[in-house]
Parts: sequence; C-alpha cells; structure tokens
Amino acid sequence: MIEAVVLAFVAGGLVGVSRQLNGRLAVSTSALFASFCNHLVGFGLLTVLGLAIGGLLRDGAFSGPWHIYFGGPVDVVFVALSSWIIAQIGATRSTMLIIAGQVLGGVALDWVLTGKPVSVAALCGIILIVAGVIVAQRQRTTAPTAADGD
Amino acid sequence: MVHLNGELARQGGALFSSWMAHGTGTVAALLVIPLWWKAIQRSEGPRQAIPFWAYLGGFAGAVTVIMTSTAVNSALALSGTLALGLAGQIVFSLAADRWGLFGIAKRRLRLGDGIALALIVAGSALVIWGSL
Repeated sequence: MIEAVVLAFVAGGLVGVSRQLNGRLAVSTSALFASFCNHLVGFGLLTVLGLAIGGLLRDGAFSGPWHIYFGGPVDVVFVALSSWIIAQIGATRSTMLIIAGQVLGGVALDWVLTGKPVSVAALCGIILIVAGVIVAQRQRTTAPTAADGD
Repeated sequence: MVHLNGELARQGGALFSSWMAHGTGTVAALLVIPLWWKAIQRSEGPRQAIPFWAYLGGFAGAVTVIMTSTAVNSALALSGTLALGLAGQIVFSLAADRWGLFGIAKRRLRLGDGIALALIVAGSALVIWGSL
C-alpha cells in the first residue's frame, strides 16, 4: 500500500516536472514545438517500453469508435498552452488553475455524458473551486523575482 | 482529452492508450507546425541555449502514465490515485516556484495564492470523494 501511495504521489510530481521542462523548452523555442517534442519523446519511450514489457497491442485495441483516438491532438493543444502559461504565471498558479479546470471539466463531462445528477458534496466542491479561481484571478500577478534565470 | 484517453484505455489498456495519444499527438503537431513555423520563429528577447534536459518533458510524462496505471490497480483505486497525484503536483510546483527549478523563474507567492490553492484543493477533494 505504501508503495502505491509513493508511486501515485511521485507520478503527480512528475507531471509537474514534465510541465516545467516543456515550459523551459518553450521559452527557448515555442510552445507548439515544445508540445511536439513532448509527444515525440513520449511516443519513443512508450514504444520501447511497450515492446520490452509486451502487451502494448491487445486484441481489439483498434476496434473502438474513431473519436477515442483523438485524445492525442487535444493533448498537443493542452501541453502547448501549459508550456506557455507556466513561464507567464509560474508553476503553482498554473498547477492550481489546471487542476480547477480539469476537475470542473470532469464533472461537466460526467454530467453531460452519463446524465447522473451531481451530488451535493460535488456541488459544494464546485463552488469552492470557482471561489478559488476568482481569488486567484483578483490578485495582481507578481513578476518573477529578480536575479534568477538559469 | 482525459475522457477520450480513458475510453481508449478501457479498449486497449493504459499503456496502449498513452502510446496512441502520444503517437497521434506527434502527428497532429507535425501537421500544424509548418503552418505556424514563421509565426513561432519570432520569439521576443535573446535566444538562450537549450539544455538537453529541456527535451525530456515527454519522458517524464510517459513514465507518469506507467506509474499511474500501476497505482490505479492498487487499493488506492482511481480516487486515491487522483488525489495523491494532485498532491504531488502541488508540492512539486510549490518547490519549483520557491527555487526556480529547471530554468523557470522563481516566484514569490502571495497570501491570495495560498487562499486560492486551499479553496481549489478542498473543492477538488469534495468532488473526488463526493462523487463515489
């Protein structure tokens, strides 16, 4: 259990590392180029891992409806936007706004696709998240502190 | 995007889903980059040399997929994995702002950032566990 906890937590940290690295690449190149590299490198690594571990292609892997294969192009836009935004507002603000967007988007998507009513607890959660975004929005963005760089 | 990839994962497994997403993403980016190449070349300010590790964002992302899909299959399940993943992201980003990790400028946070963060974390926890 403790291994799984560490694994999940570190995986979250790596999401941050990935955003930071792509952001750094975007500073020197462009957000879209950083997103392209992100996907190319990830594809290469997963191909190698998939061949090494095996089980990359299960039976029926290609038999789903066509639209489920389009997460990738959407992800390109997502990575490009976050690579650009992280240099503008910093890691913590990017992270909390992305989390807010993903949780709200997830609730909305669930609601639209399954038609199940949103629970009272989730509704309270939505209110807190929206309040958080408003608070974040209302303060003036602080410029990066002087004397950094890399 | 998460929804589409989740559907794909149900079809062919997490590894396949992520592999496919990275593959189609690479192709999609490749298709639009030539259209935008002129526009994106004009970046403001002097060019800085690019350290090799800046290209490894995709590496970290791919490793994340493997780790997450392992954690989901433990007693943590999806909600626990999600919550811990969000916690990991937040802790890392606080450290990143504090010390200016990986070449992104340091940033001092304000009280308002702390309040906003607390509200969003509490709200996300309610959504994750309130929807079970």
